[in-house]
Amino acid sequence: MENVQKKLREEAKNLLEEGKVDVIVGYEQGTLPLTATPCFISDPLEAEKLVWNAFCVQNLAKYVHDVIFLHRESQKRVKPEDRKKKVVGVVARGCTTRSLLIHLQERQYDRSEVFVIGVPCTGYVDKKKQSALLEGEEVLEGVLANSELQVKTASGDRKVALAEVLADNCLTCRFNNPLISDLMIGEAAPPMDADREFEAVDAFEKLPIEERWAYFTKEMAKCIRCYACRNACPSCYCKICFVEQTQPRWVGIGEDETDTQVFQLMRLYHMVGRCVDCGSCIAVCPMGVDLRKFLKKLDKDDLEMFDHRAGTSLDSPAPLSTYRENDREDFIFNP
Amino acid sequence: MAENQSSENWEPRIVAIVCNWCTYAGADLAGISRIQYPPNVRIIRVPCSGRINPFYVVKALQEGADGILVSGCHPGECHYLTGNLSARRKFAALKSFLNYIGMEGDRTIFTWVSASEGDRFAQVIKGVTEAVRALGPAKKLVKHL
Ligand code: SF4
Ligand code: SF4
Ligand code: FES
Repeated sequence: MENVQKKLREEAKNLLEEGKVDVIVGYEQGTLPLTATPCFISDPLEAEKLVWNAFCVQNLAKYVHDVIFLHRESQKRVKPEDRKKKVVGVVARGCTTRSLLIHLQERQYDRSEVFVIGVPCTGYVDKKKQSALLEGEEVLEGVLANSELQVKTASGDRKVALAEVLADNCLTCRFNNPLISDLMIGEAAPPMDADREFEAVDAFEKLPIEERWAYFTKEMAKCIRCYACRNACPSCYCKICFVEQTQPRWVGIGEDETDTQVFQLMRLYHMVGRCVDCGSCIAVCPMGVDLRKFLKKLDKDDLEMFDHRAGTSLDSPAPLSTYRENDREDFIFNP
Repeated sequence: MAENQSSENWEPRIVAIVCNWCTYAGADLAGISRIQYPPNVRIIRVPCSGRINPFYVVKALQEGADGILVSGCHPGECHYLTGNLSARRKFAALKSFLNYIGMEGDRTIFTWVSASEGDRFAQVIKGVTEAVRALGPAKKLVKHL
């Protein structure tokens, strides 16, 4: 990781100096110990700020989309002959590149508008798991060394094995190395435990229907509709989201629990073949809603019904935007 | 719609969203031929099954429909050629997901009825009404005002 970070800073500096990219979306040290936060770097001297470690959580494809669209918007006020193209560099691991592929597939921007700096990934730390293991104690200081978090809290020094706090999506990630890159930094990372990726979904499917419903309603009852999950999601890029539409008003904004259930149901459904399991929505959720239990099902159906995996190839379109003559029909009612 | 939920002589309310070119014409044929079918269904006509936003189904469930039927032309016979093929995928995924979160599968029913199948239309409505009647009034996802 250290080497990757060092190399990343060098390469980022070069890219900015050579003018190959106008801005780099990456991660910098967060304000709290054991955190990193997204950053935007356009000055080569600032490339030193970039970090790459197990605390880099958010999927940066979201910001790539934002930067490109803001730039496009700003160019509308510029004389056509003075308009400039902007190239956005992005520090991208497996799941980030999958989101970029989805954007490209859905024709959000051109491949030449992004410069993908691929980095190998061995997973990130799930803050909620970390905090549970530390019994909610605040981390005063902390370092990650030898696959161990060494932290100082009010009650003394503690150690937590990295494997214990890796996010669920990372533990079973199948695509932890970049699928596309213009520049690859470091060696490919070893595979994660991908064969177990659908274990939780398989188990949930076997529960009786009432238990499944009880779980869904219990989880959705936690949701406060802050929409942080949507805002963090690279696949949620609509200018006007259905939750905010008023003509028609799809989802009520009152306290009725079914409004929240309907909001969740529809946002989840929009992710058929478009969720890359990066865990960004889960990481930002302040209420700890178990979104992954539902998102992963869409991933499984996508694979089983449509033989498709979100963001793994430029040639296979989103499953709900296409069809095959012999798609499954077993659910069709035939009296 | 919620008001008839608890009453003793409950009758299922079924929303049928059907395409203009096949199923709606099929319903018309059933009517012209005076074929009897249960009066529990409210028909909404749309241009093509491919035009049906899956959100319509979810919204109807929330507004208190006990059952939803979505029907279009048979595969290969869509007036717009492939609208129903896209619809088939959307609803395969929707139905599977609704089932996963614990909604009763028989409340959301998808099928094909062509313009010449007045008989089949009546059969479908009978079948759907019976299936929904067996389930009783919808409770899940229903908004109570
Ligand atoms: S989901 Fe995979 S690529 Fe994404 S952060 Fe986790 S291990 Fe890395
Ligand atoms: S982030 Fe969590 S609480 Fe906020 S809208 Fe999403 S699921 Fe609900
Ligand atoms: S016109 Fe009937 S399904 Fe397309």
